[in-house]
Amino acid sequence: MKPLLLHGHERAITQIKYNREGDLLFSCAKDHTPNVWFSLNGERLGTFNGHNGAVWGIDVNWDSTRVITGAADNTCRIWDLETGTEITTISTENAVRSCGFSYSGKQIMYTTDKSMGFESSVYVFDLEAGKQLLGEDSLMKAQSSGNKITSAIWGPLDEYIITGHENGDLVKWDVLTGNQIQRVQEHKGTINDLQHYKDQSMFITASKDKTAKLFDTATFEHLKTYKTERPVNSAAISPIRDHVVLGGGQEAMDVTTTSARAGKFDARFFHLVFEDEFGRVKDHFGPINSVAFHPDGKSYSSGGEDGYVRVHVFDPPYFDFLFEC
Amino acid sequence: MPSADSEIKSSWADQVEQDEDDLPPPSECIEGDTKVVTEYKVNDEGKKVKVVRYYKIEHRKVSKTVAKRKTWKKFGEARNDPPGPNPTNTVVSEEIFMQFLSNKEEERQTDDDPLNKLKGQKIVKCRICKDDHWTTQCPFKDKLGALPDLLKDDTNPGFLAATATTAAATPSTSQVEDKMKAGKYVPPSMREGANRRGESMVSSRNRDDAATIRVTNLSEDVRDSDLQDLFRPFGNIARIYLAKDKVTGHSKGFAFINFLRREDAARAIAGVNGFGYDNLILNVEWAKPSGTS
Repeated sequence: MKPLLLHGHERAITQIKYNREGDLLFSCAKDHTPNVWFSLNGERLGTFNGHNGAVWGIDVNWDSTRVITGAADNTCRIWDLETGTEITTISTENAVRSCGFSYSGKQIMYTTDKSMGFESSVYVFDLEAGKQLLGEDSLMKAQSSGNKITSAIWGPLDEYIITGHENGDLVKWDVLTGNQIQRVQEHKGTINDLQHYKDQSMFITASKDKTAKLFDTATFEHLKTYKTERPVNSAAISPIRDHVVLGGGQEAMDVTTTSARAGKFDARFFHLVFEDEFGRVKDHFGPINSVAFHPDGKSYSSGGEDGYVRVHVFDPPYFDFLFEC
Repeated sequence: MPSADSEIKSSWADQVEQDEDDLPPPSECIEGDTKVVTEYKVNDEGKKVKVVRYYKIEHRKVSKTVAKRKTWKKFGEARNDPPGPNPTNTVVSEEIFMQFLSNKEEERQTDDDPLNKLKGQKIVKCRICKDDHWTTQCPFKDKLGALPDLLKDDTNPGFLAATATTAAATPSTSQVEDKMKAGKYVPPSMREGANRRGESMVSSRNRDDAATIRVTNLSEDVRDSDLQDLFRPFGNIARIYLAKDKVTGHSKGFAFINFLRREDAARAIAGVNGFGYDNLILNVEWAKPSGTS
């Protein structure tokens, strides 16, 4: 395969995400301008200019009309996708770590970091209510006492929010009451990323403890573990085959202080069920911070600490490959 | 910088080249389902380069919403980009391949191969009695068990061979002499005795080196006393130097033994080289004179 190199960022990529149809690819980085690309040919549709800090999270709603970004400049912004104009800015006490549209697109959630006397919290806003567009009267606010929320996604039917924490906890929050419904600790390190399977029946976590784990969304039952020998920054599940892709690598801050062994920065493919690694794609020059499968399962993208987003379209050998056990 | 450039008079030839710098305008043409974009530019070495890019035009049937999005105007920093991918942002990188791992059938095949090759060959050879079994299973394997005869019998062929090699030592100097005879120029640094500085300075060291052997592939647990036990049968030892790790005090795996007599050293080499000691096979050879490495 010949990957498309998307060079729209000057700093490390923090998250990439496809829209529902997969024709658009959103990327945000530690520079201040999230980008949106046509995934087919790598053409840049536009940039969302306005943030003044590292953008940690990006999401697009179901019908690809709005985009939400959360950044370290203590704002969460909602953009009109067609024109790239800002619709509203929600000011927060702290840096926004992750954000997302609910399935309906009527509600948004974001999580904030813990600092300056504020606890790490989850917020939910209703976009239909005028006041809440300005960041007042949140529909739900829940504090995570103690450990920081590092990733968050909506649960199915917009009933709850799943958050991954610094200490490896997974928590399910009720959207209406803000109560914790469930809490499990399967990981020993920070959960860097959470991604749903296409039907949201299960999700995959990527953790600094060098593993990625598969969970049942409804029961939080730990199903599978994918082990590597470096921190995992992101993991995604293929929508068409029983595959998961893991992206990671040594932490950027450790790269210069540890021995320069090449080959830790490749995207690694595991079998969903058998937990065995069967393939690798090596092309980033730094740790991979975010991976995403195209909704048609025929390509995937990865965004790395090197500031590049790479769009890979699978070759026939990938589809011919049969896992032997 | 620009002012400095303008002051320096460039040569006549350069000026002519610069005057010719106007490049043909980029062109674009569509043939069937390929779009060819031709550009001209000057590369880093000052040479003109013609860049031809081929784009494959594909028509795809997509849903209405996706098709509509394709017609959206670009915004933000991409506002002024021409239609199609902007080469500054979007690069098609080199072909890469997915490496497939653990294809078990292949693994089995590779496992089989080396064994097949070895079939019908004598794999194992004892270093002590040269028979068809492992050295550890040799009936004569007891410590230096095979050595006493070697020590008693001075006409042992192994010993002779060892002394022969000492006679043929310092081949480099003889080679140099050959060269001199052939009438070729030899730089002073390569001539005989070039690396011999002051005779008096090195003399004591030289004497040492002559009867010094180097023992390598020692195990970590070896102590000075072990070496003494091992090499005392061959003759009087002047000095044993066992390289040790400063921190742990373990052996670094090599040692130098200075014998008083060169013959003893030769016998030690013949006797102990290839000898199994502490599960490792010792390698014993003449120590290279220091400073020749």
